[in-house]
Amino acid sequence: MNHKLEFVDVLAESHEYRPATDLKSFEYSHAAEITNVYPMTEHEHLYQLRIVDPEARSRFTFRPGQFVMLEVPGIGEAPFSISSSPSRHGDLDLCIRHVGTLTNFLARVGRGTRVGISGPFGTSFPVEKMYGQNILLIAGGLGIVPLRSPIMTVLENRSRYRKVDIIYGARSPAELLYTYEYEMWRKFDINLNIIVDHPDETWTGPSGLITTILDQRIATASEGFSGRTFAIVCGPPVMFKFVCQRLIDAGIPMQRIFVSLERRMHCGRGKCCRCNIGSTYTCLEGPVFDYWTVMNLKEAI
Amino acid sequence: MLFKILPKSELAGLFAALSENDIIGPVHKGDNRAGTPLFDFARVTDFDTLRLDFTSTVHSAKRFVLPYRETLSTFRITKDSWEKQVDFNIERPFVLFGLHACDINALNKLDKVLMGSVYPTPYYAAKRRNMFIIGIDCIPLSSCFCRSMGTDTALTGFDLFLTDLGERYFVEIRSAKAFQFLKGLSLSDPADSDHDLYLDKNTAMNAAFVAHVETSDLTKILDLEFESPVWKDWGARCLSCGTCANVCPTCYCYGVEETVALDLSSARKEKQLHSCNLVDFAEVAGGHNFRPESASRLKYRYYHKHRGFVEAFEESLCVGCGRCGRSCLAEINVPDVIASIRHEEMVSDR
Amino acid sequence: MGKEKTYLGVPVYRPRVAFFEFTSCEGCQLQILNREESLLDFLNLVEIVDFREAMTEGSDDYEIAFVEGCISRDDEVVRLQEIRQRAKVLVALGSCACFGGVNQLKNRFLDQGWVHRQVYGEYPIASLPVRSLADIVTVDVSIFGCPIKKEEVEKIVTNIALGKSIVHPKYPVCMECQANENICLFDLGEPCLGPVTRAGCDSWCPNNRAGCWGCRGPADDADPQRLKAIMVKHGFSLETIIDRLDCFGGFVRESARLRDELENVGQTGSVDPGGGI
Repeated sequence: MNHKLEFVDVLAESHEYRPATDLKSFEYSHAAEITNVYPMTEHEHLYQLRIVDPEARSRFTFRPGQFVMLEVPGIGEAPFSISSSPSRHGDLDLCIRHVGTLTNFLARVGRGTRVGISGPFGTSFPVEKMYGQNILLIAGGLGIVPLRSPIMTVLENRSRYRKVDIIYGARSPAELLYTYEYEMWRKFDINLNIIVDHPDETWTGPSGLITTILDQRIATASEGFSGRTFAIVCGPPVMFKFVCQRLIDAGIPMQRIFVSLERRMHCGRGKCCRCNIGSTYTCLEGPVFDYWTVMNLKEAI
Repeated sequence: MLFKILPKSELAGLFAALSENDIIGPVHKGDNRAGTPLFDFARVTDFDTLRLDFTSTVHSAKRFVLPYRETLSTFRITKDSWEKQVDFNIERPFVLFGLHACDINALNKLDKVLMGSVYPTPYYAAKRRNMFIIGIDCIPLSSCFCRSMGTDTALTGFDLFLTDLGERYFVEIRSAKAFQFLKGLSLSDPADSDHDLYLDKNTAMNAAFVAHVETSDLTKILDLEFESPVWKDWGARCLSCGTCANVCPTCYCYGVEETVALDLSSARKEKQLHSCNLVDFAEVAGGHNFRPESASRLKYRYYHKHRGFVEAFEESLCVGCGRCGRSCLAEINVPDVIASIRHEEMVSDR
Repeated sequence: MGKEKTYLGVPVYRPRVAFFEFTSCEGCQLQILNREESLLDFLNLVEIVDFREAMTEGSDDYEIAFVEGCISRDDEVVRLQEIRQRAKVLVALGSCACFGGVNQLKNRFLDQGWVHRQVYGEYPIASLPVRSLADIVTVDVSIFGCPIKKEEVEKIVTNIALGKSIVHPKYPVCMECQANENICLFDLGEPCLGPVTRAGCDSWCPNNRAGCWGCRGPADDADPQRLKAIMVKHGFSLETIIDRLDCFGGFVRESARLRDELENVGQTGSVDPGGGI
């Protein structure tokens, strides 16, 4: 009588690479090459990456608001919002602030460096649902990064939307990101308003809190504005709490207000639990949440 | 399900036959200072060291499917490129000989999140698909509350389940593989007297429960009591040492670390079991900590077990094995914490 | 060395390092010289310009100074300050350098003159109360342990070479001890500082059924008052707890607090476990 158990090869059960559902995809990463590094401020660089395999590159699809996990072998792996338009597939823009081991290492790499990319992960901004509507994109500080993908999507489909506003607040003019694109955004009939906390001698725009601009925008809105408007908000917790409260006060329904939240993720796949808010996985059920869901998250944001 | 009767004398033969594979089972590890034996799971090669009469093990059998530390991938580093290798860290199937119902249910629960959800994890699945599980009945300790969690019986997730009837075992045969393996042993059909003994065993088990957790409406009560001062009291006691997560059969949260070899020619990505009670659980790059106080971390542990998992899978992640309470130097245990949240009398106060 | 080393295209920093010792057993430096199998790789990552235990020549031109030992004499203070001036990075190597180590037990004696006479007799030597390096100069990196673990030093040196930040576990030894599936020392009737001591040693002592003595100092969120409550509950005296906390100097403040309590016990005759137990 043979009592030897037969070895089961779990990968034999999965036939092809199917993101999110098969066992093969868990530790799978695309080899990607850094094609360009563009310093935007003292602490943030824009990285352009390209998935090396052309077929995988064109097959790579994502939605605005989603993130990827970027890995440098031996150095670390972390989540980053995709900053580019979905129409560019596996040619990705990532804006990265140098704050930890991985990002400080990235500050030193040059063109041609190979990294690992897995994803895309998480929820996204429902930009199709917003067709025919006004959009308010509101960003504080680094919060502009996850917004750049929906901004690009809106630009590419500008005629499908009504009034589009970007309200962007930063600490100082030196910390503004994507400055080289403001002209283009405006040319696409986007009402761009920028405000800084601490102006320098070159600054000619307004200074103060981002809510000042928002209040003006709401005050000058036409009749029925709130019923035809979606909002996308991203920024530090204090900022978006105040911003979202004003949007709600202005009559925009909570389920039309979307925020992108940030937590430390180790896996991005709903397994390590490090990003949980209360018992909600930021990596699976977020990072994009509607505000009604945020109100129901059982932990201080 | 097939029920059979196996004379106890036959078990050594089954063990010997199964020894073609690695066998993991409960063994006597030592005694505490009061002289009480302490058990743990270990590789067993000698049937006589297998202690199926064990009460509970200090640690669960988790490490055989979810090692505390595990390599996820290794990298060969060349001049300016690299190559990734992935290994699921299992070479051959193994037998778990002697799991209580709570621990079988723990694996069933882990299956839901680690294999049954999006992004199934192959490291876990590879081990899980290569296990042969023999369950064994038990008499609960005073700190066990599996009955409250509905995990005092295992309906699935094993190949064989033995109930000790004194001279013989009442055997539930769940898999065809198990049926095959039992061929050649002197099995008989249960007689009416065996049914009586089985029911007696069941009554004895029921009578032994002391600890209890009231789970009715618990998810909502946890929400209502989110700001309860009780959390602060428990937090003040907690040592933030992570012992509970280590001994728990269902704690699976982890951290990932990447390291480069001293000669810079290879690198390694490792996961390590983390505990939501540890101070840096919710710390982000740059240093901000979303849960700096021990109270908020301890609360989160209960939210994950008794609320979040229930929302996702309609059952609690806790199996009521009582290990965390028995191991906690600060004497924090689930029945007391839940009772205090519900404004009920705590077991330890009685 | 030939061409500059890189890792994934990024230049690897190969610092000039020097090793120094003050009052200590020099065992931590010996740890580094042990494990010959990795010594060559180690030397590829750093250029050692001064290491009395391993080489005869020495140099004052270094970027990183690894300093073992505590400070117990005036001339040591001066020498340490010189090292600090020369080094870009000063690394405290081992418990003596980090906390004073076993040597600082000397500070517990009320009559320092008596200690001096017992140890040195009439020999004219000016021995001061023991201090850690950080009591005198700024310490950039601490490597804990008595002795240090070579693997940890190697990891730290690799991290310096690659520009990775150096992080120690923030949690206590219990986390590693339980992952090693040890029987809790308290269950065996042994006192143990595991619940409050910084991990990173892979629970070296408890793995060998010996209670932790706290050589790596306090964990980030350590609460020695809670530990005291647990120790008292397990039947250990305040003296036992104080002895343990005193041993390596990482818990000086806590042991001083408990010593005050002990004086009160002397007056009232009862120990309050405190901490709600």
